[in-house]
Amino acid sequence: MKFLNARSAAVATAAMLVSIYGATAAAQQDPQVTAIRDEATRTVVMEQLSIARDRGIPREPLLSRALEGVAKNASSSTIRSAMAALQKRLTRAHDLLGASSTVDELSAGADALSVGVPDKTLKAMREAAPRRSIAVELGVLTELVARHVSPKKASQMILDLMARGATGAQLTALNAAVQSDVAAGLTPEAALERHGRGILSLLPLPTPAFNGNPRPR
Amino acid sequence: MNEIDASVPLRAKRGEEQAFIEIVEFYYPRCLRFARNMLSNDQDAEEAVQDAFVRVHDSFPRFREDARFDPWLFRILANRCRTLLSRGKRHRSLIEYGDVPITAAAPEEEYGADWAEEVQVVLDSLPAEQREAFLLRHVEDLSYEDIAALTGVRLSALRMRVKRACDTLRARLSEVEQHDR
Amino acid sequence: MIDDLTEQDELIERVARALKPLPPLNARATAGILAAVRTRSAQTPSAWSRAVEWLRQPNFSVATAGMLAAAALAIGFVTRGAITPAGPAALATEGNVSAPVMPAANTPSAVREIPVPITFDAAGASNVSIVGDFNDWNSAAAPLKRFGANGPWTTTVKVTPGRHLYAFMVDGKLVVDPRAPSTRDLDYGGEASVMMVPTP
Repeated sequence: MKFLNARSAAVATAAMLVSIYGATAAAQQDPQVTAIRDEATRTVVMEQLSIARDRGIPREPLLSRALEGVAKNASSSTIRSAMAALQKRLTRAHDLLGASSTVDELSAGADALSVGVPDKTLKAMREAAPRRSIAVELGVLTELVARHVSPKKASQMILDLMARGATGAQLTALNAAVQSDVAAGLTPEAALERHGRGILSLLPLPTPAFNGNPRPR
Repeated sequence: MNEIDASVPLRAKRGEEQAFIEIVEFYYPRCLRFARNMLSNDQDAEEAVQDAFVRVHDSFPRFREDARFDPWLFRILANRCRTLLSRGKRHRSLIEYGDVPITAAAPEEEYGADWAEEVQVVLDSLPAEQREAFLLRHVEDLSYEDIAALTGVRLSALRMRVKRACDTLRARLSEVEQHDR
Repeated sequence: MIDDLTEQDELIERVARALKPLPPLNARATAGILAAVRTRSAQTPSAWSRAVEWLRQPNFSVATAGMLAAAALAIGFVTRGAITPAGPAALATEGNVSAPVMPAANTPSAVREIPVPITFDAAGASNVSIVGDFNDWNSAAAPLKRFGANGPWTTTVKVTPGRHLYAFMVDGKLVVDPRAPSTRDLDYGGEASVMMVPTP
């Protein structure tokens, strides 16, 4: 028994080492990673990508975040923190948006969480559009909150617009219009109210759900 | 009317990027003038002009070497303007909700205002086909034959559109002139 | 009567004179046209396929789908609603792996990239490129070309619909787009510009 346990433990350890080594080796072969000049940064990036791989976290947004840090001459420890923080947000976004979400949606969800969009908003947005990408909607929501519309009001407006069938193009236009108004001196929430209501007024009302009861005669 | 040298469109047709750049630089101000006068909205006008030039570039294989470039360009531009006009109201409603439209003031309120603004207000009130015909004839200085060719409208119908536009402009702007005296 | 007719002809001439002033040539707008044309040339190499696309989509708009034009012109670029399939990205390319805790997201090849013409003013610069989350902040990936001797710099980048962060690398230095909204980076400090790309 002891032998078997020891043997099993050795096999498991070997497998783990092979897995980590395999991941690290793969990362080492990645030209974008090997092109990182600073050795400490390269090590940090490979380590974080390995951890992400083991957890099934998509690699591109993490690598992109790391390379952004390299472009901005961030220290290796800063890059490690940024990548670790993004991993957490991507994991949360995955839990909220669902297993079939695209990489773009997860990235957009992570961005939304980073500015303070509540978890329940991401869930509600996914429920509102279960079968298509909501990366644009998440992006617009992130921008609105980043421009100091309260997360609650921004969330409500985006959800209302989604419920009424607003297109990605309409939402992008809404964002542009709000930014233009804010630049002209309007408060962000007043601008959102103005333009959001405007779009809502042009969209069809949702069909009331039939409750199964016949109309009274 | 100032037309670009006939060799430039032919060079552009053969794929010379520099010739296309020369065409854009030569015609952009005129195209933007026409589009602004047609659409009374800078954003739409710039979009129409950009679309038109891209279509011109794409359509060079179909440009006949014996044709004149001006009417061909304006045909494409006028088509883009008509397309934008047809969605213009909806577009403005989506973006400018709550904004005062550019030509909101009724002509009665414009007495004493700048002449150019007066003209724009009355121009905007014309039916689109009359406005287009008037602008092509009296502002862009195209001949009736060229305008007929680029719009596909019969000469007689075209002259009637221009006449009606002029009649309306005379009627509305004469009142303004008399009031100002 | 003849005097009235003369006056009325003069009135029409006055109207025409009021409408005739030409706007100035706009270097940014003309650079945008060139960038848009180059984008289409890159997408559809054959004249025949370009003609077919034009015939199939008579109402397409090269500018912002009508919605982004003002903001786009203000922030230095316009979007084009064309579709180009994205090339496969390096998702889970580490060979055979055991089932992950979090199932891999949909493959990027299903996400459509939109060609986005870019223009940027940098009069005294020697080298300009655009870097962002769409090209892993790689300054060699998307260099800009100068339009004319002193004109704006232009290029086209392919970007998926949604919110993207970017900046310009101007002679080795990162510069935000003065015409775009920007956002502060809490991890790395500094700012990045924001572009919103709509679904086509």
